[in-house]
Amino acid sequence: MAPKPTSPPATAVNPLQTLWKVYNDNTPHRLKFIDAFLFFLMLSGIIQFAYCILVSNYPYNAFLSGFSSTVGQFVLVASLRSQVNPQNKDEFKDVSPERAFADFAIGSIVLHFFVYNFLG
Amino acid sequence: MLSFRGLFWLLSGLVALVNSKSSAGDSVLVVVEPNHRDNYSIFFDGLKEQGYELTFRQPKEDGPLIIQDDVPNFSHVILFASETKNLGKDITPQSLVHLLSLNTNILVALSTKQTQLSSLATEFSLILPPPGTPLVSYFPERQDSASLIPVAITANPVVSKDLPPVWFSGVPQALGSNPHLVPILRAPPQSFASEIDGGSADALVEAAEKGGEGLWAGSQLSLVTGFQTLTGSRITWVGGVSLFNDELAQKEVAKGVKSGNAQFAREVAAWTFQESQVLRIDRVEHHLVNVTEPKEQYTNNDNIVYTAYISKYDVKTSSWKPYSGLTELQLEFTMLDPFIRTALPPVAGSPGKYSVTFRAPDRHGVFKFVIDYKRKGWTHLHSSTTVAVVPPRHDGYPRFLSAAWPYYAGAISTSIGFFLFSALWLGGEVREIKKGKGSKAE
Repeated sequence: MAPKPTSPPATAVNPLQTLWKVYNDNTPHRLKFIDAFLFFLMLSGIIQFAYCILVSNYPYNAFLSGFSSTVGQFVLVASLRSQVNPQNKDEFKDVSPERAFADFAIGSIVLHFFVYNFLG
Repeated sequence: MLSFRGLFWLLSGLVALVNSKSSAGDSVLVVVEPNHRDNYSIFFDGLKEQGYELTFRQPKEDGPLIIQDDVPNFSHVILFASETKNLGKDITPQSLVHLLSLNTNILVALSTKQTQLSSLATEFSLILPPPGTPLVSYFPERQDSASLIPVAITANPVVSKDLPPVWFSGVPQALGSNPHLVPILRAPPQSFASEIDGGSADALVEAAEKGGEGLWAGSQLSLVTGFQTLTGSRITWVGGVSLFNDELAQKEVAKGVKSGNAQFAREVAAWTFQESQVLRIDRVEHHLVNVTEPKEQYTNNDNIVYTAYISKYDVKTSSWKPYSGLTELQLEFTMLDPFIRTALPPVAGSPGKYSVTFRAPDRHGVFKFVIDYKRKGWTHLHSSTTVAVVPPRHDGYPRFLSAAWPYYAGAISTSIGFFLFSALWLGGEVREIKKGKGSKAE
């Protein structure tokens, strides 16, 4: 137990660093690209929710559409990610990546149509 | 010369006739004992000069009727036969009250005797002392009897304050709590009701104890009291008819100063006959700010302009003149309760116009613009206009608010992100796949 005081920086950083490293090494570029978009959507959703709670939810329809556009887009992108992930090939045997992207694009367009209808 | 003078009299007579009609009409019935009629010549001649048509009737006579077929025959009634037990068949307390509801004005003199009129006075919240107890004061020291009292005019809404004191002899009235009472002449502080006129002290004490309002004494007593009904008609109770007679009008109240009786009587009659302090609302308007047409219904939070035009009756020209002198007029915007109660100030530069701009409340329902102006001595003003206040239509709400910009930015950035993502995904596909395959191969 004696070395513990000195080791925490190393041990505390280590799992995260390892996680990051493993992720960097083992994830295809495509999925990383998808993850970046997911991260952006998550940030945007968090900011909107915080604004709604802290400042004003007054045009409530605007909040609903803005927030649900990020959430909906997140869900669509996440499903795209699971379909194009090489590790899930067995599960989506009859879904090619092109088909997955087409589904994703159509779903997103429909989603954005509703969002803009409800936004103003 | 003669003809010139005749013409002058004719002209002045015409002018007087045109000049002085009351706002309620100019026919007057005077009920007075014929042998007393000449005692009030100054008062009656003054009224005639003003243009009133006086019709005299003896108290015992049965005509002319005051009400015929439920229509009043006269615009005003003067009851000076204060000591007569029974006025004609048609002059009863009930018919006098009915007369008031038909918008006829009444000037009543009371006396120390118990008559129908003194029991009617009770119905108007005037509490009279028992019969035979006139007002008495031993101050100031003077030659006259103790029941003939010079009374200084105090602040009141009807008669001008700068008149010399008036001689009064008669019965005082304690006032009930009726808000329609307008005390015009208050008793002097040293005066009290006493039994010198054939009443008994015991009766006085007993009545005071029974009534619970204390003795009839001091300046809370009223000697001349006006009463304005809800319909706007006015009745004035005068404690003693001698207030109007010539003798007291001529009598000096101090050395070289004539009493104010003549002028006081004139002004009391002017108020009673709705010559003075008569107001009316000509019309009211309401519309949105920057719009001229009124709307049937307004929307929540609309800015509304409300305007009232008020006139006052002007005796000199016997016409209604725009009047901007009301400083405490209020407007209420009510739905059961007043949601908004605001001052309705006169507009500078346009006489008679009172206007205010206010924001409709954030509630929908059926609202009323209400002016309810009740001041002692003045005609009551009441106006009520109903409008609906509705929520905005589905397309009437404000759009693209600055508060919502984070949400707009969020939605737009998501779309842009989607397009960029799609473009990069499609554009980078070959390379990515190659890379992916390459890396797999490695």
